[in-house]
Amino acid sequence: MTTLQQKTPVPAAEPKQGAIPPKLKARPSSMRRKEARFFWLFISPWIIGFVVFLLGPMLASVYLSFTDWDSFTDPNWVGVANYVRLLTEDEVFHKSLWNTFYFAFFSVPLGMAIALWLAALLNKKMRARKIFRTLVYLPHLVPIVAVALIFQMILAPDAGPLNRVLAVFGIDGPAWLFDSEWVKPAIILLSLWQAGGATVLLLAGMKGIPQEFYEAAEIDGASSVRQFWSITFPQLTPIIFFNLIMGIIGAFQVFAQVYILTQGGPDNASQMVVPLLFSEAFRNYHMGYASAISWLLFLIVMALTVVAFVTSRKWVFYETEVKN
Amino acid sequence: MKLLETNVSRRNVLAGLGATAVGIITLTACGGSNSASSSSGAKDFVMTVWGGDPDKAAYQARLDLAKAKYPDYNITLQIIPNKDYAQKVQTMISGGTGPDIMQVAEDANAYSSKNQLLPLDDYISKASLDLSATFGPVAENWKYKDKTYAVPDRAGAMILYYNKGEFEKKGLKAPTADWTWDDLLSTAKELTGDGVFGFGGTEWWPIWMSFAYQNGGQVIDASSGKPSVNTPEVVEALQFCQDLIFKHKVVPSKVDYANMGAGVGGDAAFASGKVMMNSTGFWNIGSLAKQDKITWDVAPVWRGKEKAISAFGSGLAVSRSSKNPADAFKIIQFMTSAEGQQPILQLGQDVPARQDLQKSQDFLKPSWLKGDVNMQVFPDSTPSIFKPPFIPEWNEMQKAITDAMADFWLGKSDAKTTTDDLQKRLDSIVKA
Repeated sequence: MTTLQQKTPVPAAEPKQGAIPPKLKARPSSMRRKEARFFWLFISPWIIGFVVFLLGPMLASVYLSFTDWDSFTDPNWVGVANYVRLLTEDEVFHKSLWNTFYFAFFSVPLGMAIALWLAALLNKKMRARKIFRTLVYLPHLVPIVAVALIFQMILAPDAGPLNRVLAVFGIDGPAWLFDSEWVKPAIILLSLWQAGGATVLLLAGMKGIPQEFYEAAEIDGASSVRQFWSITFPQLTPIIFFNLIMGIIGAFQVFAQVYILTQGGPDNASQMVVPLLFSEAFRNYHMGYASAISWLLFLIVMALTVVAFVTSRKWVFYETEVKN
Repeated sequence: MKLLETNVSRRNVLAGLGATAVGIITLTACGGSNSASSSSGAKDFVMTVWGGDPDKAAYQARLDLAKAKYPDYNITLQIIPNKDYAQKVQTMISGGTGPDIMQVAEDANAYSSKNQLLPLDDYISKASLDLSATFGPVAENWKYKDKTYAVPDRAGAMILYYNKGEFEKKGLKAPTADWTWDDLLSTAKELTGDGVFGFGGTEWWPIWMSFAYQNGGQVIDASSGKPSVNTPEVVEALQFCQDLIFKHKVVPSKVDYANMGAGVGGDAAFASGKVMMNSTGFWNIGSLAKQDKITWDVAPVWRGKEKAISAFGSGLAVSRSSKNPADAFKIIQFMTSAEGQQPILQLGQDVPARQDLQKSQDFLKPSWLKGDVNMQVFPDSTPSIFKPPFIPEWNEMQKAITDAMADFWLGKSDAKTTTDDLQKRLDSIVKA
């Protein structure tokens, strides 16, 4: 997210002796050149990395998605057969796609709401605030393998703490990871546990809201709830928007939770697109087919991102913009 | 965090998104290329195996012996964690830096069917090796369409661990190779109670497939190469497996295991005394010998109408990418000789595939093992090992089995319905 600020023109050096030497006139442009050099210098690791490690494989995968390739022998051109099979025949893919949408539909908004709620709480002036902030962010730092093991215990059918708590209220908890109805909510639950990552961004955003707004609102007699919805929330919308985009992309790429916790089971009830892609490519040696899956996923994520951007004009508020 | 404070411009976000979104396209890992630089006249080889530190020690010890015999060969050992092995080797081969010698197991024919392994028959006959006589039935495991693609290297039959203390307390006779399914069931019943289960589980494929093959069934019909899981023999065997869990309740269900703790299966439950009999491979002997919570021993697996036992093992194959296949085979020939396999048993890594070594005193009374364990079960079981359906689509088949049987192992559908469904799924995968 680095931006190169447009530097204001260098203040002209005070004329010392009579006429300005032509050298001085050239200074802004040499400055700009220097800046440009630094730009290319700093961006080059990313550009080189992108061209060498991403662009090449990406272009190759476009071609491969139209082939039948086992990754060992030469690819066979099959035209759009992979895409046709994916869209019309492959039930496992349809199921995974549906599961991924289901997961994204619930985990993204819920995750954002929880992150906002936590941020609002942690922004309150209270004792041990720093400790709470650390605690909220901590789950984000725990390796996903450890998280998955913890959740295997939490979600255990009878002995698990979650179902024991439910039992106190007379609810007979489901067998979470073994129940095709409940395995997706279980994975959503796991993803919500890590909502603390977005909280940190929101907190930083809250810090940046000018205090005068709140003072003015207080004088006008606005309640704290009103202040939140009329000042805090609109001021945070760029960050919320950022969280939304990252959330959508992250949700559609969900991998480790599924791969470690359920392996897609029972009977693909928790199978998602990226784990499916992975197993097609590296377990079943269908590299061409997997490439086609990845491009479909790319198009879906791209489409959703475009939708988010288009609608964002209506609700994302940028300070620099003038609204009427 | 300065930049993120309400100053996220649209263009910045877009640029960032572009970079992230393209990230999903690429999963290509880089196959490491560390071909050792060659000294004059020497030949370089790369050998890939999977496993952890004990495996590394055993393979390296064997390669050191090979080096002593063939000083001109530089053999680099690449040990890869089990889970990453297939992916890593796949990437190495596609990247043109494939190994010379590779360890292969259940999915060996994914490689051989795609011409990634060299047929070894010519080398074998030139060296006048008799694989069947040396290794027993597991020699068949590494054949595909009448050609041999690997030499058996490690091969231990599935065995039955039993809680000796509890057996003696209840006055039960130790399990034997002539136990029938009914003997297994009635003994398991005796041992079940008070939150303790008689037998560890049937869901794992080596176990239920043993039952199926003991009953005369086959998962893939050996002659036609077509799936045959909904035959009466397989259905009956699977129904018995399921009944042990839900009808007789002598085997913990998935739910029972989940309640015992994260990642707990038959092995852990047996070691903690919650399961009284457990069938699995060689690898638990070492860890069980170190604990004193339970007293235990091992016995051969039961029988059905026929004797049929799963085995766990691997072979050594020459990859198509080898520049010196003849020399690579020479290395394999040495590695699978009695001298070359000796470190496997000396270090307690596994069961060597050679039958003569399985019968040797070094294996039966190993120095690394304290206490008295009936190691004789391994050579005794070896002749009963059945040829497993190692088809090229092995991984897909495994996934289909897991998927189609998900409800079955939860007791929600019976064997007939499940196998009919599984048969349909396998028919679409297996192209015979």
